[in-house]
Amino acid sequence: MAPRTRRQACRGRRDKLFSMQPDEPASTIADGRRRSLDPAWIDVQRMARWIFGGIVSVAMAVQFLVRLLAGGAAPWLGLEWLAVTGLIVFWAHFWPAIAYRYASYAVSAEGIEIRRGVVWRTVINVPRSRVQHTDVSQGPLERASRLGSLSIYTAGTDHARVRLPGLGHPTALSIRDHLLPGGTDDAV
Amino acid sequence: MPSERRLHPATILFGLVGQLREFAVPIVVLLVAGSSRGGVEAWTALLLVPYSLLAVARYHTFRYRFDETELVVRSGIVSRNERHIPYSRIQNLDASQNVFHRLFGVMSARVDTGSGTDVEATLSVITRAAYEEIRERVFRERREAAAGADEAGAEPPAEELLRLPTRELVIHGLIENRGMIVIAGAIGLIFQSGVDERLFARLERDQEGSRSALRNLAGQITELAAGADGIVLGILIVLVALLLVRVLSIAIALVRLHGFRLTRIGEDLRAEYGLLTRVTATIPLRRVQTVTVTAGLLHRWFGRASIRVDTAGGDGPQVQRRGRESLAPILRAGQVSALLRAVLPELSLDDIDWRPAAPGATGRELRRRLALSGALALGLVYFLGWYALAAFAALAVLSWFTAARYVGSLGWATVEGAVLHRSGYVRRHMTLARFSRIQAVSMVASPFDRRRQMAQVHVDTAGATGSPHRLHIPYVERETADTLYTQLAAVASRTTFHW
Repeated sequence: MAPRTRRQACRGRRDKLFSMQPDEPASTIADGRRRSLDPAWIDVQRMARWIFGGIVSVAMAVQFLVRLLAGGAAPWLGLEWLAVTGLIVFWAHFWPAIAYRYASYAVSAEGIEIRRGVVWRTVINVPRSRVQHTDVSQGPLERASRLGSLSIYTAGTDHARVRLPGLGHPTALSIRDHLLPGGTDDAV
Repeated sequence: MPSERRLHPATILFGLVGQLREFAVPIVVLLVAGSSRGGVEAWTALLLVPYSLLAVARYHTFRYRFDETELVVRSGIVSRNERHIPYSRIQNLDASQNVFHRLFGVMSARVDTGSGTDVEATLSVITRAAYEEIRERVFRERREAAAGADEAGAEPPAEELLRLPTRELVIHGLIENRGMIVIAGAIGLIFQSGVDERLFARLERDQEGSRSALRNLAGQITELAAGADGIVLGILIVLVALLLVRVLSIAIALVRLHGFRLTRIGEDLRAEYGLLTRVTATIPLRRVQTVTVTAGLLHRWFGRASIRVDTAGGDGPQVQRRGRESLAPILRAGQVSALLRAVLPELSLDDIDWRPAAPGATGRELRRRLALSGALALGLVYFLGWYALAAFAALAVLSWFTAARYVGSLGWATVEGAVLHRSGYVRRHMTLARFSRIQAVSMVASPFDRRRQMAQVHVDTAGATGSPHRLHIPYVERETADTLYTQLAAVASRTTFHW
């Protein structure tokens, strides 16, 4: 039955979002192979960073121009703006693609291993038996690209919450189902 | 139907006093700071009325009872709250008794399930008999649950692990030097009360800016030091002050830890101590996440060490203030392994194969320290001018002497069932975590690590917030680090973690 009103259509979409089933069963994702994040993650991050960086850059430019017109600033201070904007461009456009190359994850029967970091390269291993609970969340940009962020909670201190953003939403759901306590060897 | 129990009637009094105490600091500050406005006392007296009513109502609405498998606490005046705490989830049952509690023969008990930063229920105040009843109930139910109904019954005999006589407490006071903390607290109080602002305002009036203030101070010191009398006087003052701080520290240790006794009762450790505030802390052995042995310079001069444990949950500020994590505030170095054996009987810690830091670590540590010294000296240029160069030279010499010693102190080891890490050459720490308590393992490689084929291995455990020493092992050869990381992750995943 086709949705008749706008509200029904909305609700239908929302229900679909929350009841979305993982597209692969938990057993196939848990093969211990290293996987890259969803490539759409690069664009999502770029967009988010452009929004933030754009605001910073424009605000700086406006402030500089106002001061210039008021005669309170030397024109060469524009170089300051140029340098900051250059950094923003690097941070917003190039960095997500670089970081993407160094981020990966592997799910196995024992747990999950997450690699990330360009300069400080980190590997985190969370055994499945230590997962307290898991979350899959979606921001507005992630929702538009069908991405999801997986959060794994442990009883630890530094890694009380281990985040793995940039997964396809169905993938995130199937990892969540795999890691969910109450599976095969629940003794906690 | 289990009968419900109430708190001791003195609860009303203590509740009222506790609430008034929150106003104590502002009131004292108001009085001391010489508020010109009158009527402060009358205002306070007015506050008493609603608060006493509240305390009475709170006492009358607070009930607890023992169900088959859980402790049920009902409270709340307007919105009723009924809290069910399963016995099996109760991690700690601590009691403390301050001087006023003693006058009434009551104590304050805390039920902690390790759910977060706050305790699950506070039973304040109850009689000692009531506390023993709760303890007995909770721990009997838990033993029953753990060992089947047949083994339950009488409490297993207490085995004394450590007792601290006065002599040890004096040494503890000497070593730990808590006197400074008290003095720092007093200084903090002075700063808060606004005395300092007047002081600084005057200073600023006298001189212009902090630079000239410093120069002036230096001038005064030189002037004072010009005469030999001045030097003697200065040294005497410093010595007397240091002595007083130590005496204060000893006094604190004697009062705080008076009659310290650590016993093992079945699967629980119980620590009892305190002269004015008597504390009874129970640490279930299975809650122990990591064990840290610390020996500072003074510890080693006296042939002593201290042991603390991190327990899961309840790592709020109250716990740290109460010092529950301290298993042995002080003990002879020779007793360490015996106590560890008693606490962790399943581990064999007699011949640990310590693995040193990777070759080349000393050079890296030296360069790191030199870089830090350089940065510090650069920062000092503003204050010292060219003398910053001298500061850098001094720091560089210091780095030279300390880098090798620090790297030499590093070590890690795995034994059957646990991973160990030690570090520090002035204050030596050794931390141990059982495999079943590892929450996550990570490996980090900085650019410098990668250049020298090294990595750091971090072992994450529960309840390590604010720990002075973590299982963060630096300067491990890349391949060894890989093996260690993989091995720890694998062995952790094979064990189950029990709260």
